[in-house]
Amino acid sequence: MSTVQALRKKADPVAADREADGPAPLAAVIKSPQEIQAPAARNPALLWLRSNGVSMLLWVISIAILLGIWYIGTRYKLEFYIRFTNVPTPAEVMQKVVEVNKSGKFMLNIGISVRRILIGFSIAVILGSLLGLLIGRYRVMRDLLFPICEVLRPIPAIAWVPMAIMLWPTNEVSIVFITFLGSFFPILINTIHGVHSIDPVLIRAARSLGASEFRLFANVILPGAMPHIFTGFSVGMGVAWVSLIAAEMISGQFGIGYFTWEAYSLVSYAEIGLGMITIGVLGLVCSGAIQIIGRLLMPWSTYASAEKK
Amino acid sequence: MSEQSRGAIDIKDLGVVFNAGGNTVEAVSSVSMDVKPGEFVSLIGPSGCGKSTLLNIVAGFVQATSGSALLDGAAIKGPGSDRGVVFQQYSLFPWLSVRKNVEFGLKMKGVPVAQRVPQARTLLGLAGLLAFENHYPDQLSGGMKQRVGIVRALATSPQVLLMDEPFGALDAQTRVVMQEILTNMWQQFRISVLFVTHDIDESIFLSDKIYVMTARPGRIKAEIKVPLSRPRTPEMTYTPEFIGLVQQLKALIREESLAAMGSELKDGGLTGFGMEIGPKGVETVV
Repeated sequence: MSTVQALRKKADPVAADREADGPAPLAAVIKSPQEIQAPAARNPALLWLRSNGVSMLLWVISIAILLGIWYIGTRYKLEFYIRFTNVPTPAEVMQKVVEVNKSGKFMLNIGISVRRILIGFSIAVILGSLLGLLIGRYRVMRDLLFPICEVLRPIPAIAWVPMAIMLWPTNEVSIVFITFLGSFFPILINTIHGVHSIDPVLIRAARSLGASEFRLFANVILPGAMPHIFTGFSVGMGVAWVSLIAAEMISGQFGIGYFTWEAYSLVSYAEIGLGMITIGVLGLVCSGAIQIIGRLLMPWSTYASAEKK
Repeated sequence: MSEQSRGAIDIKDLGVVFNAGGNTVEAVSSVSMDVKPGEFVSLIGPSGCGKSTLLNIVAGFVQATSGSALLDGAAIKGPGSDRGVVFQQYSLFPWLSVRKNVEFGLKMKGVPVAQRVPQARTLLGLAGLLAFENHYPDQLSGGMKQRVGIVRALATSPQVLLMDEPFGALDAQTRVVMQEILTNMWQQFRISVLFVTHDIDESIFLSDKIYVMTARPGRIKAEIKVPLSRPRTPEMTYTPEFIGLVQQLKALIREESLAAMGSELKDGGLTGFGMEIGPKGVETVV
């Protein structure tokens, strides 16, 4: 037993140190890692600023350039092939924010768009990842279902608008359907790719540890494909918004896409700008939410990606 | 069968033929070998000689084309937790913490959390990894990952441990220490081990018995008993006994490596550099 202990220390001094109990003269001399790091880590805010300060500054400059071009273009009504003549100024758009919020209609439009995204995207998440896992894992499923997908996939979701209006009982359902279609294929394709990218040695390892096919599916295939599934969610969410806005512009009665298109019809230029910015912010919030959920569900992924660097 | 006599591997006239894109490749040909309960047996040979294929047969990942492979008298049909496998590549599940990796086999068996957590922690303690139980595999060094891999394979109390060049990816220093750890752990667990390697010193240091395999198709060329006493210590590697075995094995494997390489070198081979591979080794062409 003493050899084992000695070997353990030789192989792994950190572990041996941490495990050592009882009076250890060395422990008193050698400072623990926490003690050594303590002075530097005292002000985490300062540390963060030191390592990210330059980046932060550049981000601010980047956004400022965009706003600057917008401001100068609209302020001086520039015309050089691109025409800023009718484009609203940033101030006009800001003013609109206050104006539209006097009634609940603007928020209602946002609410309806978000609801359509949530329903359409959720169905795509469930169907896309489930079918993706099955197609990725089983040859029979692949041969049976993948041809359908491959035939339908090249048709952009927007091209489905007329057909969707005919297929579904209400406009509302057809818009949700278009949103679903937009996000379904990116999720499906990425999930299939995720299953295929699982290292076969992990499947062998699980088998040799006594995993049945069902347990293998739940404990190895699903978590193994998870990083790619989340890539699919991110891409799918982007396409969902594209499809939703197009569908709302064509056939909607409510929604932020409809709001933007209606503003164009009513020659309310400031509202066009507001609509666009709102769509951008909503898209940003949605993809941010997916990233956060992904990080919470896959705490290991930060180490895995650090390893690859 | 009593606990003591379990873990016997019996392979008779075994052959494996792979079909790869219309070509048939004979990986292993009429191999007979055995591992007795509690014995540490190494398979050694030039790369591509089918030693991993043989291990995969015992693991149940590959089916034999002819002959038989028995574990405790019963034909091996597929993988199972009665045979723990340690792979050459790190095969820990990256999404599970170190402890959950070790628990995996117990979880598959349906062992409740309250039981499997202390079991996993005990094993991690033996391997000096308890402080890392909540780390993810990607936070560990190569040597630590392989120790977790060994402990994970041992967690289901298998009768046999199958190791496929487990230290092949480690640096030389870590490797030596890992060999010492393994031989000590094996002394405590006393289970049968089938160990695939191409490292001669490693095979002698660890094994009771070594099978030397020929170049493809793999056959058993020689069976060598290692008479060194247990427990094995690093000092033993300097004894004349040990060195004699090294020389004997080197000669056997060299022949096979040359045979394997000779057929690999086409179009005149190394003659451009003034060399050729002959029966005596790399020779200078006059």
